[in-house]
Amino acid sequence: MHIFRRALIIACVASLAAFGVAACGSDDSSGGGGGSGGDITVNATSFPDYIDPQLSYTVEGWEVLWNVYTPLLTYRHARGKEGTEVVPALAEALPDISPDGKTYKLKLRPNMKYSDGTPIKASDFTYAIQRLFKTDSGGSVFYNVIAGATEYADGAADTITGITTDDATGDITIQLTEPNGTFDNLLGLMFAAPIPQSTPLDADATNNPPPASGPFMFTTVDAPRTLTMERNPQFQTVKDAGADEVADAGVDKITLIENKNQSAQVTDIMQNKVDFMMDPVPSDRLQEVKSRYSDRFRMEDSINTYYMFMNTERAPFNDVRVRQAINYAIDPEALNRIFGGRLHPTQQVLPPGMPGYQEYKLYPGPDMDKARALIAEANPADRDITVWTDDEPDRKRIGEYYHDLLTQLGFNATLKVIAGDVYWTTVGNQSTPDVDTGFADWFQDFPHPDDFFRPLLHGDSILPTNGNNLSRANIAENNAKMDELVTKQITDEGVEQQYADLDRAYMEQAVWAPYGNEQFTTFLSERMDFDKSYHHLLFKQDFTSFALK
Amino acid sequence: MVAVPEAPPGVPESQVQGRNPWYLAWLRLRRNKVALGCGLLFVLIVAVCLAAPLWADYVAHTGPNDNHITDTVLIDGVETDIVAPDGTPLGPGLRGRYLLGADQNGRDVMVRLLYGGRTSIYIGLAAAAVTTVLAVVVALLAGYYRGWIDAVLSRVLDVIWAFPVLLLGIALGTALAIGGLKLGVIAIAGDSIWIPILIIGLVYVPYMARPLRGEILALREKEFVEAAVAQGMGPLRIMVGELLPNIVSTIIVFFTLNIANNMLLESALSFLGAGVRPPNASWGTMIADGYQMIYTAPHLTIVPGLMIVVTVLSLNVFGDGLRDALDPKARIRIEANDAGRH
Repeated sequence: MHIFRRALIIACVASLAAFGVAACGSDDSSGGGGGSGGDITVNATSFPDYIDPQLSYTVEGWEVLWNVYTPLLTYRHARGKEGTEVVPALAEALPDISPDGKTYKLKLRPNMKYSDGTPIKASDFTYAIQRLFKTDSGGSVFYNVIAGATEYADGAADTITGITTDDATGDITIQLTEPNGTFDNLLGLMFAAPIPQSTPLDADATNNPPPASGPFMFTTVDAPRTLTMERNPQFQTVKDAGADEVADAGVDKITLIENKNQSAQVTDIMQNKVDFMMDPVPSDRLQEVKSRYSDRFRMEDSINTYYMFMNTERAPFNDVRVRQAINYAIDPEALNRIFGGRLHPTQQVLPPGMPGYQEYKLYPGPDMDKARALIAEANPADRDITVWTDDEPDRKRIGEYYHDLLTQLGFNATLKVIAGDVYWTTVGNQSTPDVDTGFADWFQDFPHPDDFFRPLLHGDSILPTNGNNLSRANIAENNAKMDELVTKQITDEGVEQQYADLDRAYMEQAVWAPYGNEQFTTFLSERMDFDKSYHHLLFKQDFTSFALK
Repeated sequence: MVAVPEAPPGVPESQVQGRNPWYLAWLRLRRNKVALGCGLLFVLIVAVCLAAPLWADYVAHTGPNDNHITDTVLIDGVETDIVAPDGTPLGPGLRGRYLLGADQNGRDVMVRLLYGGRTSIYIGLAAAAVTTVLAVVVALLAGYYRGWIDAVLSRVLDVIWAFPVLLLGIALGTALAIGGLKLGVIAIAGDSIWIPILIIGLVYVPYMARPLRGEILALREKEFVEAAVAQGMGPLRIMVGELLPNIVSTIIVFFTLNIANNMLLESALSFLGAGVRPPNASWGTMIADGYQMIYTAPHLTIVPGLMIVVTVLSLNVFGDGLRDALDPKARIRIEANDAGRH
């Protein structure tokens, strides 16, 4: 009841304010929208994992949250590689980095407000980073490099000593324990987006999300069914402060509704009942949509890797021969057909388009004989395997394929299919029983290979909850190499090659069974301005680019 | 309780032989050709589904969960993809392998249909057995003892009844999917077929127990029960030896109709992901797997859907016929009421 009343008040205020903003007009046209308004409806097969900038760590979550919570830095609202460039957002400029690479100085723009009218303060940045650790966020591992962060996370300190802020001047100084070549990128992630200090420090805020600092704000959240985003009435304060790189909203209101039936989503878009589907057009409708709706459909490049994780801490996957056998046995072409031909086959960690990518294949196949021979050699005592996947159609089929494959290899496999909304939090929770192997994917958070290695394969990323190192990989030599490389710039000589070598080192241990890189799709209703909308390489569809004709 | 037919005119009553009520019921059922035909149809469906391994081994040469995504099959001398590169599965055709086509994972739909039928029918029967046992025990205890025992059991039934069946089924199915069920020494894995059986069996208990309790309450007042008490019979002996035989015909009718309801609920739960666990086939999971491809491969949904309709319809019609045969007075009463209404 309390939430409903609050949402109602916010909605009323927002409507009035949005009307005022719209009446004043906007001359912004850099990237994104800034168009003429209107309401649109969006469908998602899985609801975002969290409506909380410090906790959300799924593609669906970031796609929605990117234009609600603005960090100090952000990524340019632009198509293709241009969109991977880090630009100032709530900070006045890119950080001033000390010669030793350990001190970052930024200055918050003045007089900005959150959507509820609360002033945005420099200390809100500290609070956001503290929340990362207190909520056991999957993204906290990135920020361990801040001096005093681990002490704070362990409860040994009351604050993060490496961050000092001055609310009066807006000065923010961040001290790192060692140089970090990705830290600009990290400051551009939603994890580091300032939020008011009235937000619970150690609890998920999904049902009562913090006020917005971006072009949209959440007005209602009924997880995991629906949410609405409306124009942030205070966003003009952000624009007035000079944050030109943060795009303005092109529509007044976006209603997101979960619909598990992707085929029905396609039909609804065809009939203009829904304006956009966040997930790709399913394989059986792809040819029809391609041929009949080419004026409002296109394929989109995306930087991602799809793989099977294998828990290296538990039998039988604690034996490298078993993991190698899985790599030999998996048939990427079979999985490509499950995706309706949208999968580029692969057998490595880094995807094409990522610095450090060098194509190679250690386990040519599919070779079931070789796989069986390796398993016979390993002769695992424990042959009971639980395979995990979620209930999105393609992923369920992948799980069924993988289950059959393991059965053919002589394992006693059990398939667990759970709802997509809770899949990652379930398999990423160490207390969940029998997490042996299963479906996984990873989309780049930022264009740096460390984003694929650190959260997914570094020993420090084995977390009690919200973990992304699902294989529980903890190879000391590779951890050390990763820690060494991250102190350098990706443009430094030899760094890309060393990341390519690291990729191979992980695959020699077969910590994953990667099989493909997925292409996405954009399919819009007739009402939408197709040419204005675009797919961002990091955050998928840019919701600010939505505009009605 | 033996029915004694009236003596025909001119025949002394001493010459009329008593007939077994089951035999009389059979005579009445035999006259209802539609019900009998539906009963036979159900038996035929069960027999065909039981023969699933024969079809899989000797005709289709594949199991129900075997994936053949990149394999080919020879059709009219041409090697044809079981699943095309764009993901479209092979359609139905007159051939041994893939008679009803393939699904998106290249599995033989005919094989899965037969195995799925076994699963659906097995769940329907087993859940009906669970419901019947629980309902009979509750009805006997509540109806015989009355008082606080009746009050407590009836309120428990009310609580279960208060939940919509499907919602309760989904809630239980989802909750038990990951961790399974652990009750003392009883441990059932989350993917076990016994999870949907127990869920379905439990949610329908009030629907059977309440009418049975009503019958027991009425029978409890009859003279033969008083006589049994006077003879010194214990409660258990009265319940099992005197009361239970008097409600057997009602139980049989409920049991039959309950199987059909169970199969429908199983399909709904499996369709919603709270019933039979993938990759195992049931008609409900087959519809759930296929409905995403309703535009390009409608056979994936239509075939299991038709099987559910035919099986449930045959059971319902047979169950109605059985009720009429076992309890002809009920039919007369209904007909009389209907006549009065017109």
